[in-house]
Amino acid sequence: MSTLTAENINYKEELKRKTSKPLIWIGIVSIIMFFGGLTSAVIVSQGGGGFLAIEMPFAFTISTFIIVASSLSFHFGLISVKKGNYSAAKLSIIITLIFGLLFVVTQYMGWTFLHDNGYYAAGKESTQESSFLYLLTGLHVVHLIGGLFSLLVVLVKTMKNKYSLENLTGMQVSITYWHFLGALWIYLFLFLRFIIA
Amino acid sequence: MSTHHHHAKDFLFTYVFSTDHKMISKQFLITGFLMGFIGLIMSTLFRLQLGWPGESFQMVELLMGSWQENGVMSPDKYLALVTMHGTIMVFFLLTAGLSGTFSNLLIPLQIGARDMASGFLNMLSYWFFFVSSVIMLISLFVEGGSASAGWTIYPPLSALPQAIPGSGAGMTLWLVSMSIFIVSSLLGSLNYIVTIFNLRTKGMSMTRLPLTIWAFLLTAVLGVLSFPVLLSAALLLVFDRSFGTSFYLSDIYIGGQVLEHSGGSPILFEHLFWFLGHPEVYIVLLPALGITSEIISTMSRKPIFGYRAMIGSMMAIGFLSFIVWGHHMFLTGMNPFLGSVFTFTTLLIAIPSAVKVFNYLTTLWKGNIVFTPATLFSVGLVSTFISGGVTGLVLGNSALDINVHDTYFVIGHFHIVMGLSAIFGMFAGVYHWFPKLFGRMMNNKLGNLHFWFTIVCAYGVFFPMHFLGFAGVPRRYYTNSEFPMFDEMININEFISIFAIVAMIAQLIFFFNFVYSALRGPKAPMNPWKANSLEWTTPVEHFHGNWYGEIPTVYRWPYDYSKVDSNGDYIYGEDFIPQTTPLGENEKDGGEH
Amino acid sequence: MTIVVIITAILIIIVASQLLKIAELRAKSKGELIYEVSEKAGKTQGTLLLTFLFVLMGFFFWQMYSWYGLRLPDSASVHGESIDFLSDVTYMIITPVFILTHIVLLWFCYKYAYSSKRKALFFSHSYKLEVIWTITPALVLTVLILMGLTSWNQIMTPVPSETDHVLIELTGQQFTWTARYAGDDKKLGRSHVTLIEGVNATGVDAKDENAKDDKLVKGEFHLPVGVPVQFVFRSLDAIHSAYLPHFRAQMNCVPGITTQFNFTPTITTEEMKAKTGNEEFNYVLLCNKICGAAHYNMQMDVIVESQEDYDKWLAEQKTFVE
Ligand code: HEM
Ligand SMILES: [Cu+2]
Ligand SMILES: [Cu+2]
Repeated sequence: MSTLTAENINYKEELKRKTSKPLIWIGIVSIIMFFGGLTSAVIVSQGGGGFLAIEMPFAFTISTFIIVASSLSFHFGLISVKKGNYSAAKLSIIITLIFGLLFVVTQYMGWTFLHDNGYYAAGKESTQESSFLYLLTGLHVVHLIGGLFSLLVVLVKTMKNKYSLENLTGMQVSITYWHFLGALWIYLFLFLRFIIA
Repeated sequence: MSTHHHHAKDFLFTYVFSTDHKMISKQFLITGFLMGFIGLIMSTLFRLQLGWPGESFQMVELLMGSWQENGVMSPDKYLALVTMHGTIMVFFLLTAGLSGTFSNLLIPLQIGARDMASGFLNMLSYWFFFVSSVIMLISLFVEGGSASAGWTIYPPLSALPQAIPGSGAGMTLWLVSMSIFIVSSLLGSLNYIVTIFNLRTKGMSMTRLPLTIWAFLLTAVLGVLSFPVLLSAALLLVFDRSFGTSFYLSDIYIGGQVLEHSGGSPILFEHLFWFLGHPEVYIVLLPALGITSEIISTMSRKPIFGYRAMIGSMMAIGFLSFIVWGHHMFLTGMNPFLGSVFTFTTLLIAIPSAVKVFNYLTTLWKGNIVFTPATLFSVGLVSTFISGGVTGLVLGNSALDINVHDTYFVIGHFHIVMGLSAIFGMFAGVYHWFPKLFGRMMNNKLGNLHFWFTIVCAYGVFFPMHFLGFAGVPRRYYTNSEFPMFDEMININEFISIFAIVAMIAQLIFFFNFVYSALRGPKAPMNPWKANSLEWTTPVEHFHGNWYGEIPTVYRWPYDYSKVDSNGDYIYGEDFIPQTTPLGENEKDGGEH
Repeated sequence: MTIVVIITAILIIIVASQLLKIAELRAKSKGELIYEVSEKAGKTQGTLLLTFLFVLMGFFFWQMYSWYGLRLPDSASVHGESIDFLSDVTYMIITPVFILTHIVLLWFCYKYAYSSKRKALFFSHSYKLEVIWTITPALVLTVLILMGLTSWNQIMTPVPSETDHVLIELTGQQFTWTARYAGDDKKLGRSHVTLIEGVNATGVDAKDENAKDDKLVKGEFHLPVGVPVQFVFRSLDAIHSAYLPHFRAQMNCVPGITTQFNFTPTITTEEMKAKTGNEEFNYVLLCNKICGAAHYNMQMDVIVESQEDYDKWLAEQKTFVE
């Protein structure tokens, strides 16, 4: 495109390096506000009367372990790239991806469990509490799917050996987001545990 | 052939899918103004109904098609228009149009950056805005008409098509459009914040930033923190409307039927909505305040008085705006103690606001004021900010709110303090930075004319509304003629409507000036206002990258106007010292002598 | 007709464009830049701004003169007097602020309009001044906040059950109001939307003992003068707001929850008719929260009368079981 003047190529690279991380961080802040809004909605609604006792599916506990494991393996991948150990990096990113998918599966199991126990997301028999439960976990998965896509990109780039000690920005951005998704899940999990007596 | 192809592609990427912040700024401006004009026409239409209830108007017939019968609009379409007017004005004109235009134009130029942090996200931000505008306009034409529950879309009214026709397809589109709008706004804010923090040129410390940039920064922060909450509110509403959940609905009997929803609460929606809604007021207002700070200082050839206090008060306003939302809900049955807390926090906002006003006044004091149309509109802003601000002390005090809540007093108050102030700031900005936007100058005489018509009509429209409020006239009423106690109000209503019509016509002066000057106006010099900030060091012609060669280094704050040495002579022979001029020996920065 | 308008518009645009072009050329031939504000033009704008001061203030006083009389009559409730008093105090503060700041603002604009003979004063901050205008508003606000909160808390405290009072439930629905008097037992029976049927417009539970003597009225409802009235509000569909402007009373009606408000009427309808010199005068309850197409016409008359008249009227109303 048009002239970015003399510094052209370096400019773009430098721009990316300087701004990608802050961009993702502020994006994360807005996601936090989004979930903050929803969880405070739960609190406000709960203020009226007692909350129904909903049995938390055990699958959600498994989800928690899985997402922690995925964060660890992703982190290991980053360290491996830094050390120049590319095959280890590839492996751990693939493992991360599998963990990510497993997380979605366990979430699905959780929903099925809820459904089978008579907690519906919507409709006549649903309660506000059960709707919130589905909604919060569901929206988390929606954000996680974004994370899975970014993992895929990272995987492809790792395969092509695009990353190096000097050029790690893309991977770091992805990992930041991924850790955040983990933290968000743990928050939601604890929140629901706490709220749903 | 290939060259032809190349041209088409060039055109596409220069004018349509541009990633250049200056082009995106113009796109925001023009789209915002078009939306604003539509919102303005809507207000004229419903003012006709309020001024001369039930009378038949040719213009109504012409513009409203099936929304009227014999030139008289129907009550539900009246509400549809009011809702769309409010939505368009607040979000499309004054959020996207104002902040989108000037944040985009000025952030890179004033901090010394080649472009935004991410040109791509920036482009997406505009196109999301564009799509959401189009969807909002399409919603006017769907079955049942557009959303009609007021711009605050409180459920259950907004959730139930049985309650009002506009809550059918129109409301669905409203929610879709607003969700896209929120994404646009978030992408924009993200970019603004990162750009300001990371891409400042050498020497541009945070305390050397022009106040415009501070205002845009705080606006973006407010946006990032509050818009996601509106998104969550909208999402829950979507679920209630379309999937049978009961987040907001409970115990409803309508159209001879009991609905299945139970356990929800509309108050929840109000909390979520106003958690955005109040900061939104400042999202609209802060950019305008930033713009006028800059213009008042430049045009009175004086440093802005109390630079740090200005930043401090904007921060205080921004912070407080998150803990006052309950003042919209005093009468929802909230715990009176909570009401007291919100009264307290709300009235606190008056302090930083007062500081800002006094600082503006002191900046003008002993200045040497050059009256361009931009200066006039800035002075207009100070005036409306005062006139509208003082009545906030009435509304913010819960005990007093009991009797004026949702009356025309509120309409008068917020149009003056937020609507007019922000619009004036926006006009001021356009007149002032037109040379940067289009490389040409606007016509001053027409600009002055535009200002005088606008401010006189603006007061003519909104001042009398307070008196309607004193008489207890509620807002969102299709007509006041059903209550004998309001019979005498018809004179006031007619008075207001006449001024509203003139105000609308007067805006044509502006549009003519705008279009003419953009195409034919005299070519602009590099620094027509003899201003200090960095944007005036860029060449008049636009190209991606803003500066040829190196980006200039900054050595001082942007407000060194009329700085004199011990003999009383201008230090550098001129009454302004650009930020790129190194500090002389013994010269101190930041307004110190 | 339309064509004429369009042609005229086009002509105006063309003429205006030509005039602008000519003006620009003329300025150029004189060696001036058209966009530069001459000292004289600047002074004109300064003078106009000063004139505007008089126009604005004139307009303000003219409005006070012609329209202030249209305001609501004096409060017809006990707490309303404290609201009106606080309101007066507030206006006593903000009106001078509005006027004085405008005088300063527009006077400065006139006084300091550009002159090539003067230099602007380089005056960038003053700790002292800034402290002054932080503290002054803070002090004034403290007064307003304290006064406001005192009356707010008084107003929002429900009538204690041991005090002699009238208990009324007001239910809003598109687009009418229903009042329910608690009857002799001073207790409102339970109600729920699922029980709505025919004349039982608000879904009162007939099985509830407390409901037996409740009385539902429409169209108008009566209040005894000088007795505290405790209101409970409900809504059946959208949010409504029960607004009784003459009593300085308002509360939202929210489906799914009940809200409350109370006041003591001090002036009977007859007295108010005499006081306002308006034979037609009537207290009204209106809806003040957008609730649908006929929101603008959702009303109920309120009659305030002596205890005897009130008792008589109430006795004529049918109880719920009747
Ligand atoms: C000449 C220009 C304008 C006129 C004559 C005008 C007039 C009005 C009137 C009379 C109402 C109340 C209608 C009712 O309650 O029945 C209204 C509502 C509103 N206006 Fe304006 N207005 C103008 C410009 C603006 C601007 C610049 C803004 C931007 C903040 C704005 C924002 C709103 C909002 C948010 C509402 C509330 C809509 C609702 O009740 O949902 N208006 N306008
Ligand atoms: Cu607010
Ligand atoms: Cu209503």
